[in-house]
Amino acid sequence: MSPGLFQTALYASLALCGLGLIWRASAWFRVRIGTDARAVTWSGRMAAVFRGTTWVLFSRRLFAVLGALFLDVLLLRRLYTNEKLRWFAHLLIVVGFTLLLLVHALAPIVSAKLFQGYQPTLDPYLFLRDLFGVMVLAGAALLLLGRRPARRELAQTRGRRNTVFMALLAFVLVSGFLLEASKIASPRAFYRMTDQFMGTTDPQTLAPLRALWASEFGVAFADMKQPIDPSLVEQGRKLNSESCAACHAKPASAFVSYQLARMVASVTSLLDEGHADVWLLYLHVFACFLGLASLPFTGLFHVVAAPLSLLINAATQDRALPAQRFSTAGRAARRALALDACVRCGICDLRCSVAPLARYLGNAGLLPSHKLLAIGALAGGRLLRAGHEGEALRAADGAFLCTDCGRCTSRCPVGIDLADLWEAGRSDLAAAGLPTPAQWVQARPALEWGEFLQAHPGLHTLRDTDASRAPLSADRSTFSRCVQCQTCTNVCPVVAHSIDAEHGIDLTPQKVMNLLRLGLRDLTLGSRMVWDCASCYQCQESCPEGIRVADIMCELRGLAVRRLGSVRDWKEPS
Amino acid sequence: MTGARQVSCDLAVIGAGMAGMAAALFAAERGLSCIQIGNSGGLLFASGLLDLLGVHPVAEGRLWQSPYEGLAALVRDQPDHPLARVDAASIRNAFETFVAALGNAGLAYAPLTDWNRKVLTSIGTVKTTFGVPRSMVAGSYALEARPPCLLVDFRGLREFSAAQIAATLGDRWPGLRHQQVAFPGYEAVPELYAAHLARALESGETRGRTIALVKPLLGDARVVGFPAVLGLARAGAVHAAFEAAFRIPVFEIPTMPTSVPGLRLQGALEAAVSARGVHRRQQARVRALSFEADGGTATLELDAIPGGERVLARAVVLATGRFSGRGLTADRGRVRESILGLPVAQPNSREAWHQRDFLDPGGHAINRAGLSVDAAWRPLGVDGKPVWPGLYAVGSILAHQDWMRAKCGSGLSIATAWAAVDQVTRQLRGNGAG
Repeated sequence: MSPGLFQTALYASLALCGLGLIWRASAWFRVRIGTDARAVTWSGRMAAVFRGTTWVLFSRRLFAVLGALFLDVLLLRRLYTNEKLRWFAHLLIVVGFTLLLLVHALAPIVSAKLFQGYQPTLDPYLFLRDLFGVMVLAGAALLLLGRRPARRELAQTRGRRNTVFMALLAFVLVSGFLLEASKIASPRAFYRMTDQFMGTTDPQTLAPLRALWASEFGVAFADMKQPIDPSLVEQGRKLNSESCAACHAKPASAFVSYQLARMVASVTSLLDEGHADVWLLYLHVFACFLGLASLPFTGLFHVVAAPLSLLINAATQDRALPAQRFSTAGRAARRALALDACVRCGICDLRCSVAPLARYLGNAGLLPSHKLLAIGALAGGRLLRAGHEGEALRAADGAFLCTDCGRCTSRCPVGIDLADLWEAGRSDLAAAGLPTPAQWVQARPALEWGEFLQAHPGLHTLRDTDASRAPLSADRSTFSRCVQCQTCTNVCPVVAHSIDAEHGIDLTPQKVMNLLRLGLRDLTLGSRMVWDCASCYQCQESCPEGIRVADIMCELRGLAVRRLGSVRDWKEPS
Repeated sequence: MTGARQVSCDLAVIGAGMAGMAAALFAAERGLSCIQIGNSGGLLFASGLLDLLGVHPVAEGRLWQSPYEGLAALVRDQPDHPLARVDAASIRNAFETFVAALGNAGLAYAPLTDWNRKVLTSIGTVKTTFGVPRSMVAGSYALEARPPCLLVDFRGLREFSAAQIAATLGDRWPGLRHQQVAFPGYEAVPELYAAHLARALESGETRGRTIALVKPLLGDARVVGFPAVLGLARAGAVHAAFEAAFRIPVFEIPTMPTSVPGLRLQGALEAAVSARGVHRRQQARVRALSFEADGGTATLELDAIPGGERVLARAVVLATGRFSGRGLTADRGRVRESILGLPVAQPNSREAWHQRDFLDPGGHAINRAGLSVDAAWRPLGVDGKPVWPGLYAVGSILAHQDWMRAKCGSGLSIATAWAAVDQVTRQLRGNGAG
């Protein structure tokens, strides 16, 4: 490869990467998430970031941040506490990739200066290069495997950007291995070297060396007579130590490439004729440059955003030290950063309290990773475009059915404050006129919903009335023991606070149970009692007959969203 | 999911009604480690009044001024009645301990005497009972002396009508007046629930407004009666505040179940047993109960938590009640014990369950069905011997009693629980345990 072409490509990729990084980072100052962020200007965010950074640098908190840099960023502590296997996999990739970058890719400016007598074809470098490559590939494979449970259980989001990055990474590594294998096996490379360093092309002189390199260095001479004469090999050993050994170790220690070379031995002459070593080198190097240039636009960008998220986390959340109150401007920048820091690992989805509800409702929009995407789409204006109404409604149901339990935030391996993001997202959804389930259900009286359902029996699907999804309210024995003693109503704080005849609840808990007993479940779905239930469980704790009143209320809300959701006119219930 | 969680204790009490609570309370006071399984919601049907023995013989409907004299008669006439098998001293101890524990938990009772008291009910009839909450006892005295009295009720509280009581009693109680007022803050609500009013009266503001509403209506009244809504957890303080404001005695009249006094009793008993270290499994049911042969431990499989829970107990008290507590279940032919299928003493055929007359003064045979026990309160198997040395039965599941007609429900529960826990303690100490 000509140095000119190489340098041109390198500088072009670097420039593209730099510009891309600036563009992506600028989003943190542009993208608006949350109604409170709307009033914040980009300069306000800049100032907040500057103030925050300065404050961290000149306070005791600097140590917390440095600690986080070591533990959270380098050692991936938060991933370790979540999933040890994925942590190990990720560590394999990071260590393998970093060492490949330093020892191999940047060899002229790192290895050659640090290690005396560095040659890429000597041990331990031969061995290490393959080892690092295998670490990265194994890590990537483990990560893909680690995502399977989330994929299987919950319709997990697929990051297209992650796929691009992973594909590029795999391409670089595989092409590297193939390149090295082709060079090991190549007779052409052998002759080029003997010509250059021994100054001879005489077959007679080279015969011993050829014998040795064929038997022990993996060169696949097409015209080599088998079996190789052992005495010739011994002669070759002497020649080798005089002329070659200073720069070439036995390639067997490159355990992947060497095996690959043996596999391609039969087609070596073809590869040589096709100048495989040359085009493989081009492919390998240009794939690296492509990776560099596209860094800001692939999943690899998380190497910038995720550490920032973790460090901001350390700067603001550690309870042992006084935290700086986050300004709205700071939060606004941080929310936009969160969209980039998320790596779609799905750990939040697996830990989400309402994941069972997501499965129950058949709405993945409840899951954190989906909500994060929806918030991004809403901020980018994509969610509110015509034709996306269904998507928007599902996103709104998802956002508003979240219980704010905070598990996602506590688990996020890149330290995103998801709880804050959800709150901001809900404010945006509400501002966009997307109602909460409680709002759209209660926009009509319970009776009207019931009559509507009765009038449109064809509108709902089998799934809407599937007894297995509403096991309590569909099972007669759940409330067959109800004696209408009113205990549930007596202990209900919602009924007790319903002192306004106009806005008060329409049914008491015991009346809801009675409607269920009568088989009039549809009449309860839109009722204020069901929707204003505080889930305090007093009714269930007190029921003399052990009826699961509060659990039934919860089930009815889920059923209402699913059943009424299929018939609602989302723009304006008539 | 891993296997069932497992816990061990000296005594497992199955049931959280009056008998189960009494058993858990007495066992904990004697230092036994105790796990109680079952929903305490059945207590909400209680009136807060603690009967000991009101009527004997049932067929004659004879009322007893002194329950202890009635008990002596019961011992003579029905020696197999569970209450007849507990001595009077134990019954006194049991009641004193029970009422003291309720007092400590914030539900004060009037001092126990040797005598029954008469209490006004929400329909104007008079009930004979033994233990009376302090908030109701002034009504007992008023019922005897019949001084000028005001009864107050609240508009929308359908279960209590002062007018009805006055109409029933008026000709025998000339100074009895009644007044209806709108409950402060709930003026616009058509239907009121007693528990909500009780909670509302715990707020000083609502209480003040109620007092201000009623005070001008007192007139010459020397005592004033309310439906039993004067506070819930802080009922004592609410009642005291009303008396202090009116400067005359104030009494509550128990309302129809499920009532506020029932809620108070439930709360106080739950607090009392919890404070004594009883571990409660309120939402659990016993799915299976098995025993090691010859003593050893009983194993109870509970269903409340995912994966279940296993309780290992050295003794088990069955306090599951009769039909409403689900201790007994009946089909078209037979009555069965729900957990173990123990033999139930019952009429031979369904035809013999009931008398021809529904209101037969002697009651029905089915209302005396239940478990037969030995002298140590251990239910008997088909062979007439105790099913397991550490299995006891207390309360209304016991046979040979008709507690509703004899007005002896609380007495039956408290006294048999006391006697059975006594046996449990002996058994465990005899086995060399603390």
